[in-house]
Amino acid sequence: MSHRGVRVGLLWALVLLGAADAAAQVWVGRSGPRAGAFEISGGGTWSAGQDLAEGAATLTPNPGSGSASFELFQSEPTLKSVFGAQVLVGYYITRAFAIEGGMQYSRPTLSVRLSDDFENAPSLTADTNITQYLFTGSAVYHFGSSPRVVPFVAAGAGHLRDVHNGNELIETGVEYHGKFGVKWWSGTGRGRIGLRAEGGVSIRTGGFNFDEDYRTVPNGAVSLAYLF
Amino acid sequence: MKRLLTLFVTLACVAITSEPATAYLKLGTGSGNGTVNLRWDDLPVRYFISNASGGGVTSTQLRDAVDRAFGSWSAVDTASVSAEFAGFTQAQPNDDDGLTVIGFVNQPAQDRTLGATSFLVDTASGEIMEAEIFLNSFFAWSVAGGGEANRFDVESIALHEIGHLFGLGHSALGETELRNGGRHVLAAEAVMFPVAFSAGSITGRTLRADDIAGISDIYPSSVYQRERGSISGRITKGSQGVLGAHVVAFNLRTGKLVGGFSLNANGSFVVAGLEPGPHALRVEPLDDGDIESFFDLSLNIDANFRARFHDRIVVVPRGGGTNDVQIRVEPK
Repeated sequence: MSHRGVRVGLLWALVLLGAADAAAQVWVGRSGPRAGAFEISGGGTWSAGQDLAEGAATLTPNPGSGSASFELFQSEPTLKSVFGAQVLVGYYITRAFAIEGGMQYSRPTLSVRLSDDFENAPSLTADTNITQYLFTGSAVYHFGSSPRVVPFVAAGAGHLRDVHNGNELIETGVEYHGKFGVKWWSGTGRGRIGLRAEGGVSIRTGGFNFDEDYRTVPNGAVSLAYLF
Repeated sequence: MKRLLTLFVTLACVAITSEPATAYLKLGTGSGNGTVNLRWDDLPVRYFISNASGGGVTSTQLRDAVDRAFGSWSAVDTASVSAEFAGFTQAQPNDDDGLTVIGFVNQPAQDRTLGATSFLVDTASGEIMEAEIFLNSFFAWSVAGGGEANRFDVESIALHEIGHLFGLGHSALGETELRNGGRHVLAAEAVMFPVAFSAGSITGRTLRADDIAGISDIYPSSVYQRERGSISGRITKGSQGVLGAHVVAFNLRTGKLVGGFSLNANGSFVVAGLEPGPHALRVEPLDDGDIESFFDLSLNIDANFRARFHDRIVVVPRGGGTNDVQIRVEPK
């Protein structure tokens, strides 16, 4: 089976599992969230940095100079790791299966090391900030039997919007994510407060990038959550 | 008022009697208290080919090579330029006869000059009325597809001179070294660099980002106005502006280089024709070509400072400009 076939198979398995749960109510107990419940959470996020395509400012060498290449200077760009914020709103279709929408905000720094200049310009690191908005939609599946400690997995897609300093340039892209996490609920009442921690990967294309390839960004988040 | 403004803008070291107006050099001429850029108002440019052969190349071969060179400029989608072959002529490229003529002339006295372009311009408006390009048949020339050893490529040199014909000055995007009493080019990233590559090379047949930005700035198409942006600002040394500093914008995504100059005593510069996205900026003194290849010698060009990078990445917007970039340089 191809990789694409495996992914499609897993997706159907997840959907079927959710449907089965709706009928059998696998997550039993009076303390479980009821179908139709909402969950709101907000907190901090962290996204890993990434080295972008290293390159050199090259000139075309004169064939008569005997050199095959000519570098005016070197550039090593890096998108630094960044802390941000997120807000999520979830809706429980069943006790185990929820859909969730959210927004993340962060201000990553693009740093570029400029060095090895042909005319000995002093090396330095130049930078700029990007304001990044990520609007996401996810399917969330909760499992386990404890009403207070609830592991979950989620997968979904998002719209990436990178705004350069001063709104000079806006670049959009598509994001896909998969994550796992745990929710700790403070009580078992109908309305309850909890803590939510999660980690995963975000696969992005478009937005601010130096090439057309997909890039994988590990990330994590900790949020306060309210279920009602 | 019209007068013959002779602009010898050549591939080897020859003087330009022009005052550039804005970024990466557009040719200009003084008009009243200001400067007007040279450009053709009526396109296509109708040109004649002199029927004199030279340097081992016939007039028909010259016409074909010139046609390909014009085609390279016309193919730039961010610029609106065009030209049309009007026929062969007995006229010489240096005659003031109302015709735009391209051809070979034997000039052994100019033994470092491969070719030159001169204009008849309206000095009030900057409109080019007539232009002449001569290729020096003192040298050996070639039109072979892959070039020929020890012969200069007609298409490459014609591409450079036609850039002048359309109103472009020289680019400083290159590095040279002094050797045997002359300036030898190590590398360049613009067809409009004033010093030619060695005989036998055909790399000069391809326009670079700097050339494309320049021609598009003079003859902008709707694509250019919609899809390109600019960076402007000021180069200072101490409290004074720097005149003649070469500013290079490096596109961090594409690796393309586009240069410009600070063009007044205030140190103001504009680098236009840039693709949107993040750019690194580098400033250097004009030390890779004779200053007179770029500027009128009456200008007080300041080359006494060290090359440096700007400490901020500058993001170029689509169809707009990033202003107020301030770069301070230090004396050597």
